[in-house]
Amino acid sequence: MNAIRRAAAQPWMLSFVGAVLVFVAAIIIAGGHGAGGMASAAASLAVFTVIVGLGQMFVVTLGPGNVDLSLPANIGLASAVAMKIMAGHNGMILPGILAAIGSGMVIGLVNYLLIAALRIPPIIATLSASFIIQTVDISYGRGLQVKPPPAFEAMSDARILGVPLLVLIALIVSALLAVVLHKQVFGRSVMAIGQNQRAAWLAGIAVGRIRCLTYILCGALGGLDGVLLAGYFRGSSVDIGDEYLLASIAVVVIGGTSVGGGQATVLGLWGAALFLVFLQIMLNTLGADAGMRLLITGLVIIGVITVAGGGRRARR
Amino acid sequence: MRTALLASLFVASLASTALADSSGKKIALSNNYAGNSWRQAMLGSWKKVGQQAVADKIVAAADAFTTADKDAPSQAAQVQNLILQGYDAIVIDAASPDALNGSIKQACDAGIVVVAFDGLVTEPCAYKVTIDLANVYGAEEIRQIAKRLPNGGNLLYVRGLAGTSIDADITKGVEAEIAKHPNLKIVASVNGDWDETTAQKAVATVLPSLPTIAGVVDQGGDGYGTAQAFKAAGKPMPLIMLGNRQDELAWWKSMIPSGYNTWSGSEAPGMSTFAFWVAQQILDGKKVPKEVPMNILTIEQPDLDKYLASTPVGGVANAEYTQDEVVKAIAAASK
Repeated sequence: MNAIRRAAAQPWMLSFVGAVLVFVAAIIIAGGHGAGGMASAAASLAVFTVIVGLGQMFVVTLGPGNVDLSLPANIGLASAVAMKIMAGHNGMILPGILAAIGSGMVIGLVNYLLIAALRIPPIIATLSASFIIQTVDISYGRGLQVKPPPAFEAMSDARILGVPLLVLIALIVSALLAVVLHKQVFGRSVMAIGQNQRAAWLAGIAVGRIRCLTYILCGALGGLDGVLLAGYFRGSSVDIGDEYLLASIAVVVIGGTSVGGGQATVLGLWGAALFLVFLQIMLNTLGADAGMRLLITGLVIIGVITVAGGGRRARR
Repeated sequence: MRTALLASLFVASLASTALADSSGKKIALSNNYAGNSWRQAMLGSWKKVGQQAVADKIVAAADAFTTADKDAPSQAAQVQNLILQGYDAIVIDAASPDALNGSIKQACDAGIVVVAFDGLVTEPCAYKVTIDLANVYGAEEIRQIAKRLPNGGNLLYVRGLAGTSIDADITKGVEAEIAKHPNLKIVASVNGDWDETTAQKAVATVLPSLPTIAGVVDQGGDGYGTAQAFKAAGKPMPLIMLGNRQDELAWWKSMIPSGYNTWSGSEAPGMSTFAFWVAQQILDGKKVPKEVPMNILTIEQPDLDKYLASTPVGGVANAEYTQDEVVKAIAAASK
């Protein structure tokens, strides 16, 4: 009984409850058909939100004002870099993946330099960086969809014991980053900075270095997401990452990570990402038109954040 | 000095009689998006035909301008800039059918010729290159499906970007034609936004709850993504209408051995050059009706290899229009 109460009080719990409720609603609307297909589609699509969400979570945890709005542009560029380097050759898959992650890391570093060296607030620095990145992408990719090599396509669809390979990759990345966040000096430093930057600095934490590494980590995850998206959706495109601007922030907040920084939960990201995908599945199954879908999605995100945020304030 | 001046005047007058009246006129292209292959090809065709026309001294300039974001207010501001920059004609692919009317009226009042294509505008002073998308695309897709699926079946409709006039027009044709085919039934529709990624996601979310789908009506640029979603869900491949994209055409070719026979149609991105020649004809003093209709580029199986060969990887099948073709279209429209 105590264990249940403890679990219910966890910040990540709400997102899972939401995901399950929406999933059940979708099954009812579909008349009981296709529950397995829905779950499988949801897991496959949630992967991409989780990976960028992890990056955004680390950045947001740095404290008030920290956010990376360059993720969509970063993803678009990384998808183009990866597909162009792979150029349809199976032998170039690994270099392509590494180049995409590298491109993301460079973007993360540039973001941090804009923030730290030029003292621009992150929200403006990363947003203006995204315009530059997008322009680079358009002139580099010329709006053409370059297709992935056959082996990379096969990898994107591969399943191990029925679980999509991409889901396994995202689970491994999540587990590693959960360890980094909660058990490693780097992760603890990120949370310490988020709780009180000055106190963290006085305690001897190299605040500048940690912030820099955090933005680079976020950029790298954006790059990884770009190459995975290009594999799953069979080609790069400039706007392949567009929906992850709102989604990356929404999953962080809905998942139970504190918007004010200092507190983070990896588990909640999964619940929140599944919740958002199930919401789309439910609305598409319902046959809602585009306006209604956007309206409901917006209202639900506002509602969940209000409920989640209220609960957290009360706990403080 | 005086003789030199006279001589140059003489040469200039000779030249002006030899060349079209539009030779000193500047034409601008106002575009609101460049992030997909269609728009890239559209801009490419404009550049190709425009530069040639400048080199041939048919017009003085044919410059293309694209706004940084997709929305109407930025494009309205862009049109106002083009007025101030002194262009004689503005060819526009509009972000909205009516949100730009104010700016376009200002351009007309300043004596500027405005020609809209693709994304049309409702402002009456603008000339329009029209495509009866409801009939030549929306309804035609249903006719092509009905021809290939004589026994009928369930259809999935992958729509374009919600709220756009293009999506509304195509949908009007689809709905009007499907009423004539009682054995075809649209069981679900999703928004694919003419984008493979968006379409694949949208179709993936709706597929698990659907009965067996026999055919897919769509709006182009979404056929390949739709096919991938069916493949990923392990569902039998339906008859998917295509939209002339290279990946769609290449996928079609790979499906032919299994007896797959579909139809592909889309506005050729080179329609910007059709609008260019309409603007040039007006500047040249020709009488042009307010609406000049044109057709879409359709591909059937016998032409597939030809178009596949000429379409760049990741691009869209294209056709550019010549001055003669447009002169003929104007003559036909004037009747």
